Amino acid sequence: MATIESIQKAYIDFVLTQGEQPKSVYIFAKKIKMTEEEFYRFFGSFDALEQNLWTGFAVKTIAEIKTQEVWSQYSAREKALSFFYSFFELLKSSRSFVVYSIKKQPKTFATPQVFQGLKDLFENFCNDLIVEGLESNELSERKFFSNRYKDALWVQLVFVLNFWINDNSAGFEKTDEAIEKGINVTFDLFQRSPIDNLLEYGRFLAKHGGIKQSMGFGSN
Amino acid sequence: MSDNTPKEQNSIPTSKVQRSAKFVKTGFKVGGNYIKHYSKKLFNPDMDKTELNEDNAADIYESLSELKGSALKVAQMLSMDKNLLPQAYTDKFSQSQYNAPPLSGPLIVQTFKKYFGKTPDKIYDKFNVRSSNAASIGQVHQAELNGKKLAVKIQYPGVGDSISSDLKLVKPFAFRLLGMSEKELDIYMKEVEERLLEETDYELEVRRSIEFSTACAGLDNVVFPKYYPELSSKRIITMDWLEGKHLREFLQTNPSQELRNKIGQALWDFYNFQQHELRAVHADPHPGNFMITSENKLGIIDFGCIKEMPEDFYYPFFSLTSTGLMENKEETIKAFRQLEMIHVNDSPKQIEFYYTMYRQMIGLFAKPYITDHFDFGQTAFFDELYGFGEKVSKMPEFKQARGVKHFIYVNRTNFGLYNILHELKAEVKTDTFKPHVTLEFAAS
Repeated sequence: MATIESIQKAYIDFVLTQGEQPKSVYIFAKKIKMTEEEFYRFFGSFDALEQNLWTGFAVKTIAEIKTQEVWSQYSAREKALSFFYSFFELLKSSRSFVVYSIKKQPKTFATPQVFQGLKDLFENFCNDLIVEGLESNELSERKFFSNRYKDALWVQLVFVLNFWINDNSAGFEKTDEAIEKGINVTFDLFQRSPIDNLLEYGRFLAKHGGIKQSMGFGSN
Repeated sequence: MSDNTPKEQNSIPTSKVQRSAKFVKTGFKVGGNYIKHYSKKLFNPDMDKTELNEDNAADIYESLSELKGSALKVAQMLSMDKNLLPQAYTDKFSQSQYNAPPLSGPLIVQTFKKYFGKTPDKIYDKFNVRSSNAASIGQVHQAELNGKKLAVKIQYPGVGDSISSDLKLVKPFAFRLLGMSEKELDIYMKEVEERLLEETDYELEVRRSIEFSTACAGLDNVVFPKYYPELSSKRIITMDWLEGKHLREFLQTNPSQELRNKIGQALWDFYNFQQHELRAVHADPHPGNFMITSENKLGIIDFGCIKEMPEDFYYPFFSLTSTGLMENKEETIKAFRQLEMIHVNDSPKQIEFYYTMYRQMIGLFAKPYITDHFDFGQTAFFDELYGFGEKVSKMPEFKQARGVKHFIYVNRTNFGLYNILHELKAEVKTDTFKPHVTLEFAAS
């Protein structure tokens, strides 16, 4: 009896040995000795299958890190770091597939279909820890911006993914460094920082019309 | 164990705050160099980074040479200016710990998962994710297993890489600064790089720690932590937590002369036993690597840097510490030639000059060995040593590379040892483990 896992495993084996997606679901189904109809009971398309694989990585990662004893003591920053490290540790066992899957995506700004599920899940996860960080005052509440924090983390994840597939260092140590440094910088920006003072200063200047005029951008 | 005082703190007699300030300044300058580089690049997109690297190296180097203290001056003595360079590097790498932010909790967990497939809380009964101290290229955590307190040292990722790349960065600049040819300097650079890279290999460190602590187990008043190879890996070392005071803290308690002598003697025996019996030595004698336990014994941690002494270095060098050989000019010159302190194509005048200078220098170095005991508390000896080092470093004759590469670490070890004994103001019996000497050399 086919399961999600067995189909995914067969699919990964296929794309890695053939170097491309099967020409049709029919061919693939035949190869793994099931009917096309049976395949559709699990996935609507190959992209849906890949998407499910990616989402699965994140689901596994989140489940794993939450069982660690230290989890509850972690700050938002550490929780994010923990996700990144565990995620890439997990990807190691499927590195060939990951490289294949990323490399075949068109270079556009829009999130490719296969990453959509991962993105939604990751953003949900980030939202939780950002809310937690805002509540504990670890992160700074900023109008408009604090809603975008999760986007910054997603950008980081995409960046590290691309960094990792090109990383040749032993044990992917460079990726560890990229994560440590990248996430720390990102969270430094989320914290109360000179940016807030700058914004406040701007607001102060804006409120005092006299200065506005003397600076030469008064509206009347 | 523990490195309470940041590693390099005591080896250079300047306060940590000052030293950090120095590096902040360098940081600004280097930052400035980048700004300079990119603003120039705006107008000239073809510009490469050569100039930038040179600017950086210059500033890094400048601040390093400003940092040198008496320890450095002494180390300079025997092998002259070339020694200033490795020392500066070593300082720089140990120094970088002040700038390196501590590893995040998740990265520590990740490191354990990578090497043991388990999180630290599954390996130890208790593990403190917050580090208790910074070590030179990593940090130390406290842990507990089966009721035993443990010290777990974890290395920063990418340290090995940055050593090699930093060395490359400063190298071309150093050639010019010291007026040495690349070929001349390369031998010394390689030696330093080798040792520094060895320090990043924690598996090797565990092996050596066990080897050395077993070999030295018979020495009086010296104790070592137990190492756990099964709980260690390329980036992690687990050992017993050694309770005790660091040298500085110990000195603040105003120990009696008798106690100072006892610790000093333990230190002397530890080093001279290694040098003369094992022919390989713990080459990082800086105060952070020693603890004084509550039973007033000397605890020794960190076997990251080991210098092995080959016979063709050991015999000519240590034979010079015996008056028997030094009285014999012909044999002394033979020894100097073997150690490449006198070169084949030196003129008779040069031979005479280097003979006189090196003889004086080694005579000074060997003073503690000549008598059966030596008072390291006396300042006269150290004044003479520093004075001589100062004088020699200004002589143009010593601007070129002389002496075999082994001098770098052997000098660092022995002068480091002298310095600590001086700080302890200890009087020690120096004939406990005497150098093995030969009084005659085969013509080479």
